[in-house]
Parts: sequence; structure tokens; C-alpha cells
Amino acid sequence: MMNTARVLFGMCLVLMAAARLAAHHSFAAEFDTNKPITLVGTVDHVEWGNPHIWVYLDAKDDQGTVQRWQCEGGAPNTLTRNGWSKDSLKSSEPVTIDGWLAKDGSRTCNMRAVKLPDGRTVFAGSSNGNVATTQKKP
Amino acid sequence: MKTNLTMRIAAVLAIVGAVVFAHPATRAQQEYKPAPSEYKPPAGPTPRLANGKVDFSGLWAKPYVPDMTKDGQNQKGMADLPFTPWGAHEWKIYDAAEGDYTGACLPFGMTRSMNTPEPMQMIQNDKYLAFLFEQNSWFHVVPIDGRPHGNGIATWFGDSVGHWEGDTLVVDTVNFNGKTRLDTIGHPHSEQLHLTQRFSRPDLGHLSYEVTVDDPKTFTKVWKNVRTFTLRTDWEIMEYSCEENNKSLWEGRIKPPKYKQ
Repeated sequence: MMNTARVLFGMCLVLMAAARLAAHHSFAAEFDTNKPITLVGTVDHVEWGNPHIWVYLDAKDDQGTVQRWQCEGGAPNTLTRNGWSKDSLKSSEPVTIDGWLAKDGSRTCNMRAVKLPDGRTVFAGSSNGNVATTQKKP
Repeated sequence: MKTNLTMRIAAVLAIVGAVVFAHPATRAQQEYKPAPSEYKPPAGPTPRLANGKVDFSGLWAKPYVPDMTKDGQNQKGMADLPFTPWGAHEWKIYDAAEGDYTGACLPFGMTRSMNTPEPMQMIQNDKYLAFLFEQNSWFHVVPIDGRPHGNGIATWFGDSVGHWEGDTLVVDTVNFNGKTRLDTIGHPHSEQLHLTQRFSRPDLGHLSYEVTVDDPKTFTKVWKNVRTFTLRTDWEIMEYSCEENNKSLWEGRIKPPKYKQ
């Protein structure tokens, strides 16, 4: 399934209890908890900056067409303290990203976890997110 | 294709009766949980300044509190907020997708700065306590020499003064501009917000924190959160420039807030 984008919509809407990645802005301002996504592709480049890192990757859609995606991770400071560096993801390396789609329908996602080329899967955001929230009003 | 794939997955999940284990959010808790931190804060007695007052200086790890109604590690929330009709209406109509001031890199304000997962450095002498928030590299200075509140203009972080009640430092903050939210999820407050933050340091490595929210326009009674901060001697505070690469705002996925001027 490498280099194939697998877009899974509408699953398990009541089970959104993950730690949120972004302290900079409200998750709900930009992303949709109802649209989880898994991307399997190839890293193009990484922007390592505040308020969030961005990973740009190429992944094929179901028709086999390569599409460019951009995915938001945590803040560099927090990621650094969790063992990341700007060289953790390198150009042309395979990567698998789990996250959520942006509300605007663009090929933009919020990363929760990243599977690295060596097989390790690491958080893409803050490990300090120890208060689960649905980002939905009661 | 997408529909077929989703249906196949849903069928499998139904058969095993374990949908919960298949959801990415749940997988995150099972597969992606980072190794437990081996860090232990230093042990020792409560440090004090030459004047005998408790010294809160240090770099502190704070629990991330995106929702002040929730409990969490080192955090006790307020489950049912006692909204006034005005407060309930403000909460009901809030939608971060229609304007998110933090996403626009505007100042978080006092409670949201305390709520962030980024650490905070405290620096103190006889007259002042300074909060250096790593989040967006903001700071807030509190006179602690007994002076009253000033008469300045309303601000994002408010006007703070501190006084001692035994070994507890009580930071009293008023004069907010009303443009912030209490937490990430967006609980409201008004310009009548009056915060009382109580700091004590039971030992070298820990800080006990209590924040009381008093806002008669928004809440019918005062309420509080109680937290524990941990001294991080292995960290240094880092620069955080929110405007550096705020793509989400620039590309229109985050909308700036609409304020009445």
C-alpha cells in the first residue's frame, strides 16, 4: 500500500478522545475531528518553524495520481523536547501520517502520529496533551 | 472506492466488536504513547529569598489544560460551569472556525497562557515576580511589594498585583480587555473577569497552583482549577515566534477574530 493515499472518512465519530496537538490555536478552528485520515507517501520537505512544523509529502490517490499534501505538526520547541529534530523526516523518504483533514477541503491535515522510515511511530505533537477533549461543546 | 473501503473496514470492526480499538484516536493511546519520562524533579526544601519569602524562580512544566472543566494529570477542573444567561449565550454561539484569536497570534491572555503545554519561567525578587511564558514568548510582570492595582488601560493579560498570605503568593488580576477566552475550547469571560492565582511551593521540585475565576457577568458564582507544576532543571526556555510561519492564517483556513472596536 506504499505511496497510496487512503482517505477514511466518517468513522467512529463518538470516539474522538485523542490528545490535541496544537496549543497555538483551537483544533476546531481549522480541522475536522469527523474526518480522520491516513496518508502513505514520500516526504518532499519539512518546514521547521513556529507556531507549527509542516510536512509536505506526495501520496497517490485512489486513481493513482500523485497529490501534494501538507500536514501540520506540533511546535518545534515541544517536538524538540520529545526527541524530534528538523532532520527527523528527510526528503524522498517514505512516511505514514495519521491525522485529521482541514475543514476547507484542501489537501491539508493535522498530524497526530508519524511512522518513520525506521519503523518507529512517534507523536507529531505535544505529549503534554494530557487532558482529553473532544473540542465539541457539551 | 472510498465508500467500499470504509464499508469493508466497518464490517470487520463490527465482527470483532472492537470498533474502539480501530479508531485512530484510540490507536494513538495504544501505539503512539511516548515512553514515560524518566525525569524526576530535584528533591529538597522550599527555597527562599534573602528576605525569607518563598522563591518561585525556576522553569516550570505545567499541565496542558485545553478545557478547564476537565480533570487531568496534575489538574482538577470545574465540571459544571455556573453560567449566567449572558455567559451561556456566549458559550453557545462561540465557534472557533468563525474566528480564532490565538490562531491569529494575538495574545492568549492570562488563563490560556497558564493553560498551555509550553513551560513557563518564573523570576522573582523582593518587588516583582515575572512570568516568562514560552508560548509566543510573552511575559507578564507582577509587583509583589503591596502596591494597589494601577489605573492603566484594559489589556489582554490584565493588571496584576501580588501579596503574601503566609507562604502563599496571591496574584490578583483585573482590568482585562475581554478579547480572550479562558481556555482553548473557548469558554467565555467578560471584561469583568477577576482572577485570583495562588502560588505555593511545598518543596523544591513542585509548585501548587490554584486559579479562581470570578466574573459576575459570565458566571453566577466563583469557581476554580487546582494544578501542580513540576520544576524542570533539564530544560531551558526557548523562543517561540508565533508569526514566523503561521500558514493556517495566511492561507485562510483560520479566520481572524471579529472584535467590536
